[in-house]
Amino acid sequence: MAMVMDLDHFPNFSYSTTTATASTDDGCNWNDWSPVVDWEELSAGQEDFHHLIDSMMVQDVVLNQSPSPSIYQEYNNSSPEYNNSSPEYNMMTDDETNGSDDCKGLRLIHLLMAAAEALTGANKCRELARVILVRLKELVSPNDGTNMERLAAYFTDALQGLLDGTAGGGKHVPGGGGGHQYKEEHHQTEVLAAFQLLQDMSPYVKFGHFTANQAILEAVTHDRRVHIVDYDIMEGIQWASLMQALVSRKDGPPTPHLRITALSRGGSGRRSFGTIQETGRRLTAFAASIGQPFSFHQCRLDSDETFRPSSLKLVRGEALIFNCMLHLPHFSYRAPESIASFLSGSKTLNPRLITLVEEEMGSPSDGGFVGRFMDSLHHYSAVYDSLEAGFPMQGRARALVERVFLGPRIAGSLARIYRGCGEEEWCSWGQWLSAVGFRAVSTSFANHCQAKLLLGLYNDGYRVEELSSNKLVLGWKSRRLLSASIWTSKDSDL
Amino acid sequence: MFHPKQQKPSSMNSHHERPMCVQGDSGLVLTTDPKPRLRWTVELHERFVDAVTQLGGPDKATPKTIMRVMGVKGLTLYHLKSHLQKFRLGKQPHKDFNDHSMKDASSLELQRNNASSSGILGRSMNDGSNVHITDAIRMQMEVNRRLHEQLEVQRHLQLRIEAQGKYMQTILEKACQTLAGENMASGSYNKAMGPDISGIKDFGPAAMNFPSLQDLNIYGGSDHLELHHQNMDRSSIDPFMHANNDSMMLGKKRPNPYSNNSGKSPLIWADDLRLQELGTAGAAPCLDDHHQIQIAPLSIDRGSDIDSVSDIYETKPILSGDHHDSMGDKKFDASAKLERPSPRRMADRITNHSAISAGGMPQGRSSPFG
Repeated sequence: MAMVMDLDHFPNFSYSTTTATASTDDGCNWNDWSPVVDWEELSAGQEDFHHLIDSMMVQDVVLNQSPSPSIYQEYNNSSPEYNNSSPEYNMMTDDETNGSDDCKGLRLIHLLMAAAEALTGANKCRELARVILVRLKELVSPNDGTNMERLAAYFTDALQGLLDGTAGGGKHVPGGGGGHQYKEEHHQTEVLAAFQLLQDMSPYVKFGHFTANQAILEAVTHDRRVHIVDYDIMEGIQWASLMQALVSRKDGPPTPHLRITALSRGGSGRRSFGTIQETGRRLTAFAASIGQPFSFHQCRLDSDETFRPSSLKLVRGEALIFNCMLHLPHFSYRAPESIASFLSGSKTLNPRLITLVEEEMGSPSDGGFVGRFMDSLHHYSAVYDSLEAGFPMQGRARALVERVFLGPRIAGSLARIYRGCGEEEWCSWGQWLSAVGFRAVSTSFANHCQAKLLLGLYNDGYRVEELSSNKLVLGWKSRRLLSASIWTSKDSDL
Repeated sequence: MFHPKQQKPSSMNSHHERPMCVQGDSGLVLTTDPKPRLRWTVELHERFVDAVTQLGGPDKATPKTIMRVMGVKGLTLYHLKSHLQKFRLGKQPHKDFNDHSMKDASSLELQRNNASSSGILGRSMNDGSNVHITDAIRMQMEVNRRLHEQLEVQRHLQLRIEAQGKYMQTILEKACQTLAGENMASGSYNKAMGPDISGIKDFGPAAMNFPSLQDLNIYGGSDHLELHHQNMDRSSIDPFMHANNDSMMLGKKRPNPYSNNSGKSPLIWADDLRLQELGTAGAAPCLDDHHQIQIAPLSIDRGSDIDSVSDIYETKPILSGDHHDSMGDKKFDASAKLERPSPRRMADRITNHSAISAGGMPQGRSSPFG
């Protein structure tokens, strides 16, 4: 059997029982491990897999780092070609017992990367990928364990989805083989609970909302009528604080009339017509309670979610604002064509302001799928870390947020990367806007100051940077996560 | 750092500190305090500045050499030493002034700015030129303006966060209501009573600070009535819900956590999250809500809390008011306003069972169970 023969090529197995699960690996029982792999089937370059599997076999790769984003930095620097770097992983053994977590974390990264590599890399081999994923599943769980383990669980599932060809943008939600649910199908209460938790545990949502709102406030100080077109209103939370600010504004004409048009989509779920209607009612009630003149409209998108400017009702003399919250953690990915139609449609209407909040990914490297995969891993590990740093004890709460929001996001993110929707995907929407001809609007001192104060309410790892004159970026430690930028169409003067 | 008052050349302080002065023979002006102190008049100071410049600047000059150069009788080394020091300090902060951006308005920053601006004033006084004074004043005004703006931003931020919290509340209340209605309709109290109370315990403070979570979980199940009309899969209901149903059904009496902690309950949080005090001011009413709702079927006894709540207070004595004080200190004084009022407010709400700003929900709520 080819497997048995390969066994002879691996001379050193240094065993250290750092984790219980690791020890099962020591047996080198390839038959047990994966009976389905027929090694002979593997094409040329068989020696490549030796290294791959070798590093999987070795458990005691212990480094002194924790599986924080710093590891990924290192990783990203090294070539995505697994083979080249694997010898280095059989590095010095360290006897520190707390290295076991790091060790395990690192192994998970190895495995994930190997799986990603197997899926799409030069040595494309779905079988190998399958094997690796099986192994991964043994090691990870979405509910228990360290950040890395839970994160790896979702990535594993996402990869599995890609492998099975069922990945259509977040279809699989890992539940240990149990409940496969679309995000939309999560119990409403779960979603709300998770959302409340997300908001309280992290500043992402507030950062996006408040930065956009502040920019809007500054843009409409002298207007009597304001019209906001919201791409993805969800529950309409963003507008509560805007209304409050409008009601209490001191300079300019008192409380302007606010009109919000929300885009709704077909189907059921959080973006359906019915839900949006409910949001509208809620907003209206809230506005009434604080004395804000308000009206709410819906604008249905086509079935393919294309936005048609003509379907908007406009009123003369109103300040038009387009609000585009794209990648807040509780949002799922929208089709880029839809977003593009929204933004370019807005251009034809000459809006006063366009507020854009999107996730900030690493710059597109030449790493292909694997490179972007690692980047995504880095991104979400930073998010996980940020949640944990503030709330180390509330593992269940975080697991809920991860399950409801982040897991589906991960799956969606990988699906997009896998489909590789061309360059457009990897230039940010901000870049797209400026390429299409929108003008940047500088973020004010007050806005920047507000962001900093907001972050000050959370724990210390969060940072806000002013990447360019019109863009504020929220990041966790050294990883940029979310950016808020402000634009205007060329013709309107601001 | 130093007091602006001491910063300025003594001549500025003269009105306050030295009631009576006499001019001595040597031309020095001394006060008539029991301890005669030298008064640095403008002329004297000018001579001092001249001497210092002659000697090559405040860093090069020493009290001894200055004394020699000035040649003023009765002027002691002691006088010169202290005056020179003030002079040096007065010149220094001016350098850093322009680098300050309003990164964090800590009290340190505040003081530094004050100091630097008065340093500028001091320097301008030293130069004895009016142009510099206006510049200095302008800079001072700029500093003040920025500080002011920052305080404004802070105030607004607080209001906005509260507004958002209130809005979130309406969402959660609505969800609660629909669920309550649904429960009543289907009489589905007999949910799967999983023993997974530990699920809630795990949340610890989280449960406290996200009363919404508790709210939702009381009723178990989801908002199917509103959205999906699917069959509820009882077994897949969140473990949290089980816990709540448990307590709801069994009517356990627990010691009132609030009475134990004298209203500090909502403040229990990871100490980094100061937001809690101010951000979920809106959420606090929900907490009240929750208790009202939950206890309605059992008795009007606030004591019968969710298991987790009492567990929280028993097992997680992490934070107390002290933490918040220390936290408050970390930030600048102005921010204390941001943080402090809220805890008290929330504490009041909870201990007084007062009507919630969100609109007197308690009364309305007990009815479904009534």
